[in-house]
Amino acid sequence: MPTSNTTTVGVVAHAAAPAGGFRVRPGALRAKRRETLADIGMLAPALILVGGLIVIPLFFALYLSFTDWDGFTLPAQFVGPHNYIRLFTDPSVLHSIGVTLLITVIGTIVCNVLGLGLAIALNRNTRLNAFLRVLVFYPYIVGPVILGFLWSSILGTDGAVNSVLGQLKQPLLPFLSDPTWALATVICIIVWSSFGVNVVLYLAGLQTVPESLIEAATIDGASPWQVFWRVKLPMLAPTVTVNVVLVVIGLLRVYELILALTEGGPAGSTQSFVYSILSSSFQNSQLGYGAAQSIVLMIGIIIASVGITAARRRSEQAVAA
Amino acid sequence: MIASRRTGRVILVVILVVVMIAPMYLLITNAFKSQHDILTEPFSWPTDGYSFQYLWRALTSPDFNVVAAYGITLFFVVIVCVLSLLVVGPAAYAIARGSRRYHRIVLFILLTGLFIPGSTLVIPVIYVLKTIGLIGTIPGFFLFETTLTVPTTLFLFVAFIQSIPRELDEAARIDGATRYGTFWRVIFPLMRPVVATTVILNAVGVWGDFVDPQFLLGPSSGIYTVTTGIYAAISRLSTDYTTVYPNMLLAAAPVIIFYVFMQKRIIGGLTSGAIKG
Repeated sequence: MPTSNTTTVGVVAHAAAPAGGFRVRPGALRAKRRETLADIGMLAPALILVGGLIVIPLFFALYLSFTDWDGFTLPAQFVGPHNYIRLFTDPSVLHSIGVTLLITVIGTIVCNVLGLGLAIALNRNTRLNAFLRVLVFYPYIVGPVILGFLWSSILGTDGAVNSVLGQLKQPLLPFLSDPTWALATVICIIVWSSFGVNVVLYLAGLQTVPESLIEAATIDGASPWQVFWRVKLPMLAPTVTVNVVLVVIGLLRVYELILALTEGGPAGSTQSFVYSILSSSFQNSQLGYGAAQSIVLMIGIIIASVGITAARRRSEQAVAA
Repeated sequence: MIASRRTGRVILVVILVVVMIAPMYLLITNAFKSQHDILTEPFSWPTDGYSFQYLWRALTSPDFNVVAAYGITLFFVVIVCVLSLLVVGPAAYAIARGSRRYHRIVLFILLTGLFIPGSTLVIPVIYVLKTIGLIGTIPGFFLFETTLTVPTTLFLFVAFIQSIPRELDEAARIDGATRYGTFWRVIFPLMRPVVATTVILNAVGVWGDFVDPQFLLGPSSGIYTVTTGIYAAISRLSTDYTTVYPNMLLAAAPVIIFYVFMQKRIIGGLTSGAIKG
């Protein structure tokens, strides 16, 4: 592990602290100007990249969302709030938002409950636990595109599971061909492929709970259940926040797995919001409309992550008070 | 009581192992089976036996050149990781050692990307790259891919540099080093752990990225990474499992092998990255 565990919180506070005191030595002004020049040289490349390819595109997205840009003709026609009005009355977009919210809510709850539960079960340092940790984490490394294709070859109509069911003379299961089944399948596979990250993060969090605290509680007669609710969980509060925010942000933008697994089908039933953004942008050449949807998603992600962090902080303060 | 808890644990572990390994087992074994055996005996020993011919056919197929895709993706990973260090390193140093107001403003601007997912920026980025004539080109792709690495890398670097004593900078300055020289010769060599973390984070990110190579480079450029290549190959041929399974295995094998050998570093790096980011 890197030795950098110390100064996370200090980043901003540190940068704010005055460095040199108030004495102005001769030539200090010139030295200061030289330092500023050196600073500009060091900061410029990063600023140009982020300015050019994140900040400016942000404003472009805002501008494009009020136009009917088709991806080719520049400049684009201004159409006012038309795209936004259309977005909130377009049944397929609303459905994709609903699908995304459903995936996000269920996925966040299940991933975190599973992640925390398994982390506690695997917390002792044994060989088996080390192996299990590697095992639950691997889907993250393989990546959603390959996993999506793999699961569709396993759960498709002529996939591995249904071929076994067929040989056992059982009815086939429409994992990916029935709208309701497909959505459930997508959620299960999302959980399967991402809860390992939560297990690993909760394990890291559990390392920070002092053993002495658990011992003290046990000596005072706390049951394992009480130790979990009264000692471990409160100590893990920041880890829980990180995990919830990460899963929420990840699931609000779920796309690749669905693309490879179901292509949004059957009949658009598993299209996520990002899926809708990219298909209206690129298949239908309505980049203005896609930009409007991007803006809505961005606002959603910012509200969700700031909201969760704030709610957490408030509850922590309530506990402290 | 204790015996039943033990049984519960064993059952839990068995379920976990089966659920996690089954897809990998199918991926590996079915890559060596005939179409008929995949359809009739996906889990068991095939009647036609195992054969390397499907894997070989996928490896040499003109539709999807896997070896070229590895090379291209690896090249992208290396260039983006290096560019990221070159761009973010000095900036992080200036911010970590800086004390003026503009340092905080710059830090704030550079961290905005933490809240904005790359996939939602694709459309306006296409607009920007089109304006400067870099859409569908490798340099344009590098620029955006590097930009996406800036927020997390910067955040981890700044935190780490602040834990390095300032006396080192003073000593280097007295010895006549410039600020740039101080960073690269004195500070950067001390940053090995955090550089390893960010390189792993960025490498996994670039290797697995699908949206950006797909839409910024585009199929028309003829440049396929492993993810966009496998997507193009499989969506066209998805009924022939003797192409699907070997292709998936070829695409997954290098990362899995890399992961098996580097798992401690990868898991550790991603954990510290996520907890701080």
